Amino acid sequence: MHKESRIRDPLIDGNKTFHDITVEVAYPVEGKANKYWWILFGLSVILMLWGFGCIAYTIGTGIGVWGLNKTVNWAWDITNFVWWIGIGHAGTLISAVLLLFRQKWRMAINRSAEAMTIFGVIQAGLFPLIHMGRPWLAYWVFPIPNQYGSLWVNFNSPLLWDVFAISTYLTVSTVFWYIGLIPDFAMIRDRVNEKINPLKKKLYSLLSFGWSGRAKHWQRFEEVSLVLAGLATPLVFSVHSIVSMDFATSVIPGWHTTIFPPYFVLGALFSGFAMVETLLIIVRKVVSMEAYITIKHIEYMNVIILFTGSMVGIAYITELFMAWYSGVEFEQYAFLNRATGPYWWAYASMMTCNVVIPQLYWIYKIRTNIIATFILSIFVNIGMWFERFVIIVTSLHRDFLPSSWTMFSPTFVDIGIFLGTIGFFFVLFLMYARTFPVVAQAEMKTILKSSGSEFKKIENE
Amino acid sequence: MSNKKTYWKGVAQLESKEFANEIASNEFSEHLPVNDFLKEKKTLEESSTSRRDFLKFMGFTTAAATLAACETPVVKSVPYLIKPDEIIPGVPNFYATTIYDGRDYASVLVKTREGRPIKIEANQSSTSARSQATILSFYDSNRAKEPMYGGKSISWSKLDRQIRQNLSEVKDKKIVLLTTSVISETTLNLIKKFSSKYSNFEHIMYDSVAYDAILDANLESFGQRVAPKYHFDKSDVIVSFGADFLGNWLSQDYSKDYVNGRNPKNGKMSRHFQIETNMSLSGANADKRILIKPSEQAYLISNLYRALIGTDQIDERLKDVYLNLKKSKSSIVITDSTNKEVQLIVNAINHRLGNYKKTININNPCFLKKGKTDDLKQLVKEMNSGNVQVLITNGVNPVYNYENSKKFVSALNQVETFISCSLYNDETSSLADYLCPLHHNLESWGDANPSLNTYTLMQPTIAPLFDTRQFETNLLSWADESKDFHKYLKNYWSNKGIDWNKALHDGYFKFNQSINAASYRKSNLRNFEKVDDNRLELCLYEKIGLGDGALANNPWLHELPDPITRTTWDNYVTISASTAREYGLMNKTVANGALNGSLINLKADDVELKNLPVIIQPGQAKGTIGIALGYGRKKSGKVGDDVGFNAFPLTSKKYVDIELAEGEHEFACIQLHHTMMGRDMVKETNLDKYIKNPGSGNYREKYYTYKGKLPSDQVSLYEEHDLETGHFWNLSIDLTSCTGCAECVIACQAENNIPVVGKEEMRKSRDMHWMRIDRYYSSEMTKENAKKQDISSIKMYAQMEEPSEDPEVVFQPVMCQHCNHAPCENVCPVAATTHSNEGLNQMTYNRCIGTRYCANNCPYKVRRFNWFLYSENDQFDYHMNDDLGKMVLNPDVVVRSRGVIEKCSMCIQKIQALKLEAKKNGVTIKDKDAQTVCSSACSTNSIVFGDVTNKDSEVYKLRKDDRAYDLLDHLNVRPSVFYQTKVRNKQNA
Repeated sequence: MHKESRIRDPLIDGNKTFHDITVEVAYPVEGKANKYWWILFGLSVILMLWGFGCIAYTIGTGIGVWGLNKTVNWAWDITNFVWWIGIGHAGTLISAVLLLFRQKWRMAINRSAEAMTIFGVIQAGLFPLIHMGRPWLAYWVFPIPNQYGSLWVNFNSPLLWDVFAISTYLTVSTVFWYIGLIPDFAMIRDRVNEKINPLKKKLYSLLSFGWSGRAKHWQRFEEVSLVLAGLATPLVFSVHSIVSMDFATSVIPGWHTTIFPPYFVLGALFSGFAMVETLLIIVRKVVSMEAYITIKHIEYMNVIILFTGSMVGIAYITELFMAWYSGVEFEQYAFLNRATGPYWWAYASMMTCNVVIPQLYWIYKIRTNIIATFILSIFVNIGMWFERFVIIVTSLHRDFLPSSWTMFSPTFVDIGIFLGTIGFFFVLFLMYARTFPVVAQAEMKTILKSSGSEFKKIENE
Repeated sequence: MSNKKTYWKGVAQLESKEFANEIASNEFSEHLPVNDFLKEKKTLEESSTSRRDFLKFMGFTTAAATLAACETPVVKSVPYLIKPDEIIPGVPNFYATTIYDGRDYASVLVKTREGRPIKIEANQSSTSARSQATILSFYDSNRAKEPMYGGKSISWSKLDRQIRQNLSEVKDKKIVLLTTSVISETTLNLIKKFSSKYSNFEHIMYDSVAYDAILDANLESFGQRVAPKYHFDKSDVIVSFGADFLGNWLSQDYSKDYVNGRNPKNGKMSRHFQIETNMSLSGANADKRILIKPSEQAYLISNLYRALIGTDQIDERLKDVYLNLKKSKSSIVITDSTNKEVQLIVNAINHRLGNYKKTININNPCFLKKGKTDDLKQLVKEMNSGNVQVLITNGVNPVYNYENSKKFVSALNQVETFISCSLYNDETSSLADYLCPLHHNLESWGDANPSLNTYTLMQPTIAPLFDTRQFETNLLSWADESKDFHKYLKNYWSNKGIDWNKALHDGYFKFNQSINAASYRKSNLRNFEKVDDNRLELCLYEKIGLGDGALANNPWLHELPDPITRTTWDNYVTISASTAREYGLMNKTVANGALNGSLINLKADDVELKNLPVIIQPGQAKGTIGIALGYGRKKSGKVGDDVGFNAFPLTSKKYVDIELAEGEHEFACIQLHHTMMGRDMVKETNLDKYIKNPGSGNYREKYYTYKGKLPSDQVSLYEEHDLETGHFWNLSIDLTSCTGCAECVIACQAENNIPVVGKEEMRKSRDMHWMRIDRYYSSEMTKENAKKQDISSIKMYAQMEEPSEDPEVVFQPVMCQHCNHAPCENVCPVAATTHSNEGLNQMTYNRCIGTRYCANNCPYKVRRFNWFLYSENDQFDYHMNDDLGKMVLNPDVVVRSRGVIEKCSMCIQKIQALKLEAKKNGVTIKDKDAQTVCSSACSTNSIVFGDVTNKDSEVYKLRKDDRAYDLLDHLNVRPSVFYQTKVRNKQNA
């Protein structure tokens, strides 16, 4: 039995009973969607379809419909890819690393954070696919035994490492997420009236894998969770390290830096937590989960954002220092150009959003304020998008030979695809919010008696 | 009644009925035991073919049948029924012939494959970007395809009859033949014959860009209206007042001679002064450029002459020129002046300096320019007065390129019969009564006499594509002679004792022409005084690509970046930065990096041109503007129409007024940064330093290692490729001898099926050229200056982006450097780009999935991506979208599909063919046999290709040269391409 110091703030507010938790978590799944859900869903579907249209146009016509050129061969495509992958990071960190560290506050948010991870990785996975000149041959990146002769993939290429890293990440995250969902699906299954809704009953029966809540089941559940957490933890660090190697192993000044793996991982956690906040601040309001996702949760996350944001700031400054210290003129120019060249505004946005603004979280009032947190989380999301844009575009657009220097500006297709993935992401997330228990209720119940507000009160008395 | 007769099937039936039945049942296929099998339950159960198996078989057969149906589309190729003797499929034939379009002359070898010409290579003369590009103009679907009368098609025989009728009706009025300079002896002969048949016949020659002044001056000084032979290789000092002799001046290629006189290995280089207004190719190569206004030219030349004869002080600006000329043993002074009096002074200067004995040979003249602009002016007058009954034009387009085109058009109305012989139904031909479409050079017979005693032959390399005829055949048939010009030509030369077959095989022959030895005659020279004029002055020029615009429908030439401005698909007004500021004109880059420029309205006397785009040109003299001729065609074809504006109406204008106009022009400029930003891509030294230390200027950084300080090529983490066994191909590019003429770019485009992408794509920095010629200007701001003046890095780099107003220029051809530690090879996820054991970086298009990672990781940015489908796509309506245009494609090189990366292959197809040939013959490859098209096209031999494992090869020696360096050697990518430092011959400080 979990024991918690009584002076700690409760993690479940509002004097809930076990039954209250069950009812409140099941409510969005059992009830009808409200107007806001439909409006949001409708908008997301429109964006998604627009994005799919742009993707179809790209594949049908050629990558030339994007704003790329001979010098800047990657821009929004890979920016979006890294951004979405980064967003996914918080989910795994919350569910795996915090599990290992026995941080009970993760229980309220891990379900949605993991859902976000999976949906984010799906968006991310789209970009390496569609950025190819010939996406119909994308399967060539897999080491599939073939009869084309001695054709094989190039294991030296970081892009190939990406393929393995991301597919592993997606698989483990999905499995982990699903394991956690089983007792909750079983809860919904048990509450569905078979006579009224036989299909739903059948569906949730299938999804819950015959969970019966026996002690043996719980024991296995705990074991599997622990094992998967152990497996997933290195992935938190490996995926973004490998993504960063796309850049770090190249020769382009501004890419070719050894600091990238930790820098990218921290940046990913930073952006991931920001996105979790953006989503959960909406979710807790829309599906009335304020009792479970409390100000305390938000504050914890803000502290992480403050920490990772500061680390990211150190990384930025280290890069500048190393450029100066290295004495390599190409490296020096790359960073000088970043800060003062034609893309200074992107660099300034990045610095402001990622380094300056999160420092506001030192102030207690701001980090415990829902509105402020929501606004700041949006800033971080924007800042982290710019970080990737700055790394990719400003490094490429002026590299070694000035004769090839040029610039990049997005076309409507670039923008359309990005907005489309946002739409797609929200379509998935909104559907999830209506069909899945958004809070891990089974796990929440394990801490009700130690961290619930009522029990804290009793103890304090 | 029953028939009891029995018919036996055979003897066996008679003998034994059972036996007969048995063999009858065995006669056909085996008995299938289906019934036995199905009727017994037991056997059925024992059988191993389960229902599952059945479904499997069924599935397999269905899948197999479906797959077999999904065959890739079959493109039928029809084999020869009877194979022509000279054609072996896959093996090219070469024909020696001549290209002369009335302006550009080249003696060439035409490579044909399966009967179609696909590539032009140099034979007796060198080639240029334009002569290389002619091959594409040959397959131009916009050529005039059939004879026409009044806009309707007509048969040749009917046309001949009518024209003969028209000609014979001429009584006291004139028949005039208007051509460009004719350099064919037989053609001139034919014209003479023609004139003897028809009275009142006159033949007028004119050149679109006139050289009357120099020809007339030589007529006065030497009694011969010719241009002399200039020996730039023998000259110590070259002084050019505006003559762009490395570009288009006199349509001659002087670059080979020029470069021969500038080999630092000999410890001696000519010193080249260029005194000019526009930044020309010659100026870019000069050791010293002096910027002057066109109006100052006459004074300065006159001043130089007076100083040389000692009657005047030398002008301060020409002091160096003067001292060098005085000191030198041999020199050349030339000018592009269109004033005969100025040319006479230049002749006097050259005479005074004794150059006619050493460097300028008037007794070995060149005949490429013969035009008389005054004759054309006279003709227009006569036409206007109704004195011309029949006008025949051949290969000229005065409606486009005559200064006063409107006057010419109205004069045409007074001509009764206008017969135009032309390749195109162009501005002039479309006004003609009769359009006689011409053969292209590659379909014609002919000869050429470009300079004294030099004769080259022209022969067809393919049967005529259209219902066309060559001009000489027209003359023959209108003069009632036999129509067979081939026979005429053959007889003409055979009768003069020429071995026809040998001459035809070689493409050229020697024949002694008689010429009167000329000596210099003094003439009265005018004194030109200093003029002080603040008006804005105009200086017209021709671009390396398009020239005078005759090849305007050639997309290769439009897309060829101008060597100086690196702008494509446009002509424009060039102006200096400070003058631009005066008029409030600017250039800027927009969000995607592309260049935009202001527009101006221009007025010069009666000529007004609106909305001309402006490019700020470093090295343009202040208070002047430059404009390129050859653009703004209206009836050239689908590619060339309405590109740029026509500057021919400005031909004789000297002063212009300009004003800022509304709006901006969108340029397709592919180099947006003009300086080296303090980097050392082009390493430079001066001759005196080079003589002291051949490695001067070629500094190599050393790096700390555990073995001590080492240069980058001795440090490596990589496993080395085995480059000792077999060949190891290297390419050396000498930056001293590269003049930036861009011929290699076109040659590469022709050989490697490089697509044309059009202005919009070029503007987006999506050029597809496999090789480019980077051009850098020097900047006032250098690292040393910044240190001296204590300027911050940010400010320093900002100022470094600004080229100097009077910059030094360097050219650097860059193609795939074929790194032996290639950054691109590492990063390709599917190993589509790999290394060959001959030192080449290979691109496998079929394997490429188009992640473009390689292009990002290429430090030289030489990888090109197929952003769209560039062939058979209406969005890119150039030659690859055209059945005829596609004929130019080299069958040895694949046409790339959309979505793959491509780049220089070091002409792997040529290497492979050579290796096969050598293997077949059991010989080793000789040094000079291995050539890329850029190396073989380079007329200055600045690109040298070869095998460095062969220690006797030229490229091996160059690799070991003190001047050799790798581009960006600190990256240690170990390129197979290397450069030789640029050596200038500047005045010592």
